Amino acid sequence: MMEFPEFLEIPLADLIDGIIAWILTNLGGVLDAIGDGLLGGLVAMERLLLWLPWFVIVGVVGFVAWRALRRWWSGPLMGGFLVFIGMLGYWDLAMMTLALIIAAVLISLAIGLPTGILMARNDRFASVLKPLLDAMQTMPSFVYLIPALMFFGLGKVPAVFATIIYAVPPVIRLTNVGIRGVPQSVVEAAKAFGATSRQVLVEVQLPLAFPSIMVGINQTTMMALAMVVIASMIGARGLGMEVLLAINRIEVGRGFEAGLSIVLLAIMIDRITHAFAAQQQYTKSP
Amino acid sequence: MAHSGNGNNSLDADREVCVEVRKLWKVFGHEPDRVLDDPELRVATKEEVLTRAGCIIALRDVSFSVHKGEFFVLMGLSGSGKSTLIRCIIRLAEPTAGSVFINGNDICALDEEGLSEVRRHTTGMVFQHFGLLPHRSVLDNVAYGLKIRGVSQEERYEKARACIEKVGLRGWEGYLPSSLSGGMQQRVGIARALAGDPEILLLDEPFSGLDPLIRRQMQDELLELQVEIQKTILFVTHDLHEALKVGDRIAIMRDGEIIQTGTPEDVVINPSDSYVRQFVQDASPTKVLTARTVMEQPPVLLYSWQGPKAALQTIRDANIDSAFVVTRKARILGQVTVEGLVALIRKRGTFLKDALDPDILTCHADSILDDLVPLVASTRYPVAVIDEDNRFLGEVYVSTIIANMIQEQGPGEDVETSEEVQDNPAVLEGPEDTEENEKTPGDGPSEGAEQA
Ligand SMILES: Nc1ncnc2c1ncn2[C@@H]1O[C@H](COP(=O)(O)OP(=O)(O)OP(=O)(O)O)[C@@H](O)[C@H]1O
Ligand SMILES: [Mg+2]
Repeated sequence: MMEFPEFLEIPLADLIDGIIAWILTNLGGVLDAIGDGLLGGLVAMERLLLWLPWFVIVGVVGFVAWRALRRWWSGPLMGGFLVFIGMLGYWDLAMMTLALIIAAVLISLAIGLPTGILMARNDRFASVLKPLLDAMQTMPSFVYLIPALMFFGLGKVPAVFATIIYAVPPVIRLTNVGIRGVPQSVVEAAKAFGATSRQVLVEVQLPLAFPSIMVGINQTTMMALAMVVIASMIGARGLGMEVLLAINRIEVGRGFEAGLSIVLLAIMIDRITHAFAAQQQYTKSP
Repeated sequence: MAHSGNGNNSLDADREVCVEVRKLWKVFGHEPDRVLDDPELRVATKEEVLTRAGCIIALRDVSFSVHKGEFFVLMGLSGSGKSTLIRCIIRLAEPTAGSVFINGNDICALDEEGLSEVRRHTTGMVFQHFGLLPHRSVLDNVAYGLKIRGVSQEERYEKARACIEKVGLRGWEGYLPSSLSGGMQQRVGIARALAGDPEILLLDEPFSGLDPLIRRQMQDELLELQVEIQKTILFVTHDLHEALKVGDRIAIMRDGEIIQTGTPEDVVINPSDSYVRQFVQDASPTKVLTARTVMEQPPVLLYSWQGPKAALQTIRDANIDSAFVVTRKARILGQVTVEGLVALIRKRGTFLKDALDPDILTCHADSILDDLVPLVASTRYPVAVIDEDNRFLGEVYVSTIIANMIQEQGPGEDVETSEEVQDNPAVLEGPEDTEENEKTPGDGPSEGAEQA
């Protein structure tokens, strides 16, 4: 009598399985196309990074860091991080991880920016999307691995897919917040002089929302980095897999090296994207 | 001498209507139509509608029309709907009911494209809260309207520079608005509206943050625009003196309704109810009364062909000591005085014109009494009122002007005396600039808390 009545149980698991099975049988072609597209982009990015001489990449990162952070030491420091990763013997793996992150972030932005803009301009869409985004961000990250696995099997493609799903909410959310935060008086003034809604968006709302959008991009990038490590569980090669292997074999030293490389990569990416966000802040008047 | 703003030209009913507002309603809140469909709510007070329907009535059945080239001023307490009204005219706020016509065009019937077209080419607006683009320089802000129109960069920068110069901000072109003071930002807003040279200017408290000196300059600039190139101007202000100075007509609003529309003279002399009376109680009649309204017909008018003896006789009979002399067509020639005539007769002169003193004080019929004060202060003779063709219309006595000045002076309000002559630097120099800035009681009821 004290147990929960069995007849009240809902077969949710069965339902989800059913949906996934349906998708797999009926939308297989679509999934294949998406998978091929992801793989193509990813492989191209990986090839590019591995093909470029190491000193070119170090130089580019150093230069960008110096421009973004506006300190003379920032360039050598960030470049030095990369060199140090190379010295640990992880250059190729780091480039693979970086390729995965860049691909995932670019696709996240391609999805997230337009969605965020749409959300800012359509209240109904926003009210539907908001709880969804909340749910996505509170879900533990490895939950996304399950559908990714089912749709795309093992390998790089499900890793990118899971990463995108996990990393896309911040850029959507902050694009929306940024655009909505543009003072109504400014938008109205632009309209009063005959600006179309497109002109208002491009010339007023997006530039003024830029700092907020950059914060979104920064957060998305950091989440992508975190997810890439986890995604190595389903077979994406890179630094994450190295950590995973080290844990499995209880090789503390190796795990530490790989972990340190990830941390350095994270600091590098975070500082640079963060600086880009902060740089634009001064244009926003009180 | 003639005062440009208060010409009574708005009285010509046959002039082309430029902006027409018909039965306009604006209700903020959910389901505004509920308020309009309910005959009880339609006439309920603002507070009642707010508690019963949760809606704010910002405009209630507003109708008026503004003629081409007219300077139309909107006044009213804070929250009475002035900004909303001016925003509804180009649908920055969507009217809940009613219609707006600009040059006969039904604005509410336009699609987005048509509306943009009107906003680009016909109207220019200055916002109470500036609405400058914070990420663009002053120059780009001023040139913004032209950019939207598709004017080339070179041309729009050239025009924008001219306008920036006009509002006295030369040298600030490259700065962002955030590095400018409030008054300077407001002037950027004014320059932005002027840059497009629009036919209709919608100005929402454009001068509220300016110091009196620049304020007066801007007022004069605006009057010039209006008079010379026939701009139609809708102007919101809290400052009664400003309204009286620039307005051809003034509309006074309360709780979303227009309760009186009329010339400055109308509003000040015949306020329609106690609310309006409170509004205008501190305006001196001398600021709105024109020479035409107070002039009198002289007891004696001499003609140039009359002989000195006959002239002297008529003047003495009328018990006065001077009289104006006119031609057959009533053109004014000058005046003769008793002493002048007596001297002439002694010298056995026979022509009246030999005793004529052509150096008399004249004023235009549309002159405002305020402007006559310095004139009458320097003479003991009446001032001749004439029309454009120099024809004599009547005369104004010093005593009339003084009587009107005294009438307006309540006890303990002697600040006003010095304000009377503010437009005549020659008479009162120096401190006059600070006078206007003083919060006269006239600003009292209309002081917006947000006039920061
Ligand atoms: N966006 C809005 N949403 C809801 N209510 C509004 C909105 N804008 C204005 N109102 C209401 O409409 C009424 C008129 O406001 P409006 O800004 O037109 O006043 P105003 O006469 O311009 O006042 P002020 O002199 O202070 O500028 C006010 O009661 C205000 O609360
Ligand atoms: Mg207002």
